[in-house]
Amino acid sequence: MLDNAVNWVEKGDKDFSDFRLTDVRRFHGPCRLYGITFYISNTAHPTMSLFGTTAGFGTGGTSVFGSATTDTHNPMKDVEVTSPPDDSISCLAFSPPTLPGNFLIGGSWANDVRCWEVQDNGQTVPKAQQMHTGPVLDVCWSDDGSKVFTASCDKTAKMWDLNSNQAMQIAQHEGPIKSIHWIKAPNYSCIMTGSWDKTLKFWDTRSPNPMMSLQMPERSYCADVVYPMAVVATAERGLIVYQLENQPSEFRRIDSPLKHQHRCVAIFKDKQNKPTGFALGSIEGRVAIHYINPPNPAKDNFTFKCHRSNGTNTATPQDIYAVNAIAFHPVHGTLATVGSDGRFSFWDKDARTKLKTSELLDQPITACCFNNNGNIFAYSSSYDWSKGHEYYNPQKKNYIFLRNAAEELKPRNKKW
Amino acid sequence: MAEAEAEWELCKENIQPLRRGRAISTLTEALSLQQEGSSAITQRTQQAFESELRIYEGDDPLDVWDRYIKWTEQTFPQGGKESNFSVLLERAVMKFTEEKKYYNDVRYVDLWIKFADSCSEPLDIYRYMHAQGIGLMLSAFYIAWSEEYEKRGNFRNADTTLQDGLKCGAEPRDRLKQFHKALQARVTRHVMLGMGQESDDDTMEMEEPNRKTLAELKALGKKKAVAPISRGSSIVNTQPRGLQMKAPMAPVRNSRLMVFDENKGLAESQEPKLESWMGPPSARHKENEQKPDKWTKAKLPQKTRAGLPVVMPAPAKPSFQPFVEECEHTPAVTPCKINPAVNCVLSARKPHREETPLKRLQDWKEQQQQQQAGGSQAPGTNGKPREQSMYCKELLFSGASEFCFEELRAERYRQKHAQRLVASGSGQSAAAGTSAAGTSAASESFCAGQSSSGPSQ
Repeated sequence: MLDNAVNWVEKGDKDFSDFRLTDVRRFHGPCRLYGITFYISNTAHPTMSLFGTTAGFGTGGTSVFGSATTDTHNPMKDVEVTSPPDDSISCLAFSPPTLPGNFLIGGSWANDVRCWEVQDNGQTVPKAQQMHTGPVLDVCWSDDGSKVFTASCDKTAKMWDLNSNQAMQIAQHEGPIKSIHWIKAPNYSCIMTGSWDKTLKFWDTRSPNPMMSLQMPERSYCADVVYPMAVVATAERGLIVYQLENQPSEFRRIDSPLKHQHRCVAIFKDKQNKPTGFALGSIEGRVAIHYINPPNPAKDNFTFKCHRSNGTNTATPQDIYAVNAIAFHPVHGTLATVGSDGRFSFWDKDARTKLKTSELLDQPITACCFNNNGNIFAYSSSYDWSKGHEYYNPQKKNYIFLRNAAEELKPRNKKW
Repeated sequence: MAEAEAEWELCKENIQPLRRGRAISTLTEALSLQQEGSSAITQRTQQAFESELRIYEGDDPLDVWDRYIKWTEQTFPQGGKESNFSVLLERAVMKFTEEKKYYNDVRYVDLWIKFADSCSEPLDIYRYMHAQGIGLMLSAFYIAWSEEYEKRGNFRNADTTLQDGLKCGAEPRDRLKQFHKALQARVTRHVMLGMGQESDDDTMEMEEPNRKTLAELKALGKKKAVAPISRGSSIVNTQPRGLQMKAPMAPVRNSRLMVFDENKGLAESQEPKLESWMGPPSARHKENEQKPDKWTKAKLPQKTRAGLPVVMPAPAKPSFQPFVEECEHTPAVTPCKINPAVNCVLSARKPHREETPLKRLQDWKEQQQQQQAGGSQAPGTNGKPREQSMYCKELLFSGASEFCFEELRAERYRQKHAQRLVASGSGQSAAAGTSAAGTSAASESFCAGQSSSGPSQ
């Protein structure tokens, strides 16, 4: 079944009207085959009681593909998500496995958070939307998939109940909130917010006061949580690891393995599914793989260059781009990085090899994520502000693409 | 008010003096803020300044820097790392070295003077400024320079500097003249004091036969004057800025030479004309110094007779084949220096000891010229291919602390948003209304709009 799963959209033209029943490839896992009527209306789905009916539903969107074939906005010919946000996309998150199906949440600089359902045939259906009073910087799901948490420049974080489509504020900071994560511990559950006001706060969503507030040496730039570990990378190359068992506390401050500003971080797990280290990306085309307690730190920890141009050509200077996001495949443990250069790459950190690099998109790629079973890789193409506001074109369209990730992220066989 | 005064009194040793003095109100405010630990306001103001630095698009960027530095001075009376004061100064100074229009701007020259104060060799800075033509029309420059000379006891040069200033027609002229007169008065007083103390020399020596706590240069042997006396006075008198202490004992041993100094002209303190030294001078009289002698009985391992180090036998080769990694694994390489002026913020290594801010400035200028002349094809100094960062480095690192892309963008958003609020006229009520209504309306359009945009089936 997997053999056919590769490149399931590349048949013929990109015009969606050519898509016929026989061309439907299947995702690994429970396959649901839909008739052509899925184009038209959403009401054919009786199982959609998850969402309330207060807000208007999408009436079955069709993907709007680019018109010209030479258009470089989608050189990888991946599925375009319908109704992308009107401004740069800052974050993407797929629903957890507790929720049947795949739902994608995307936050943007247009102050909105949008939710799409991604169907097995690749169709994306816009579902609902919430607004903040400032650009949205990060989103995350609760573990049961019923709530989405959104963090914004307006210094608040909101909890969006998808059943009722209501959002309420659950956190307040003194500066924009850059990262938000849900923590599910055996004895507590809470939201962790990292902000530019140099604090890391933990919120029980029922109370207006934080459960705990930890002071950081500098502004939080990125964070990741895989229970019982949390990592926060701050300005001035700070790096702090927290342990979340019993209650969150600072575990260790680490000297940065990178020489440039920290930009993104992602925790990876070992074979026993326990968090064991993290990947850290900087603004100068480099990612560091760092284990928390390796047997041999000098050998086990390493960095690699990525998102650079002119690899071997020494005549022209090499252009170095920022690494905007890192995501680990939930099954294979391989990782994806997306950069300011407009490419994404897949890597196998154990074999220390690159698995694939994409073609060049005409815009930077700002965010990426995998769905819960690792079959779908979502990445967004929009301006990341890497060259300041002079290069900002508000008219330029922003995109979110979906790619089949089952095959391309398989680790290399050679292990050592 | 009395309480406020008491607070100031309690920590006045820690407060760094400013040339222009401190406003007592801001001083007490800053001190009380620090005590209460409410640094949030300070942080926010600092962040606001940093943002302003990056967003500013007007004609006078110096203004932002100037206000930021003045605010930092007032808010952090003790100086210290948090204020990033020295980093800021250096940045500000370097940023505008190409802008000739600021060369005779009072604010810019003030920044240079503050910068010079914080360096170990202010005279070098002043000389550099003179060579570049910075501040030549401003008396503040000449005054600061001559003050520096005066500190070192180089009255001749101090005088010359002021006269230069008068010749160049520096403004404000009156201040320069006033200062000149004052300098001359000080010099005369100094001379008189020196002459007056000659008779006290013998008695003083007998009173303190053994231990001299603030011992200065002494001539060894019976001869009283061997080296130029100015050496001793310059070392003792050069105190941290602002404090001009007189040495407890008369620094002038040989008043005869003092008179000569006035007219003949002293040699520069860096290049003295030496009489023969009886022995090396002790810069400072250290009391618990030991003479060097044998430390232990241990011996170093012998070198071979040829002087080559003994070669250890090579380790035996391992019996297995070591695994060769894939080429993707590159050891962590240090990126080559692109902009030395920026590295002081990012670099993990401590700055090289001999590197002074002035040297950094000169290096940076050289590099700028090289870049303009040589183009980007030349390989880097390490021989490795040059690298080019494809992001707005200047914007990210222009202030004292760094920004990330999102912070830049958020700042611009905030500005635009504030402008919009002001422009809308009806103020905040209108904005609140639209945002609440917008929530449901926007989501309606997000989902419902698809029927019109999708192709009909």
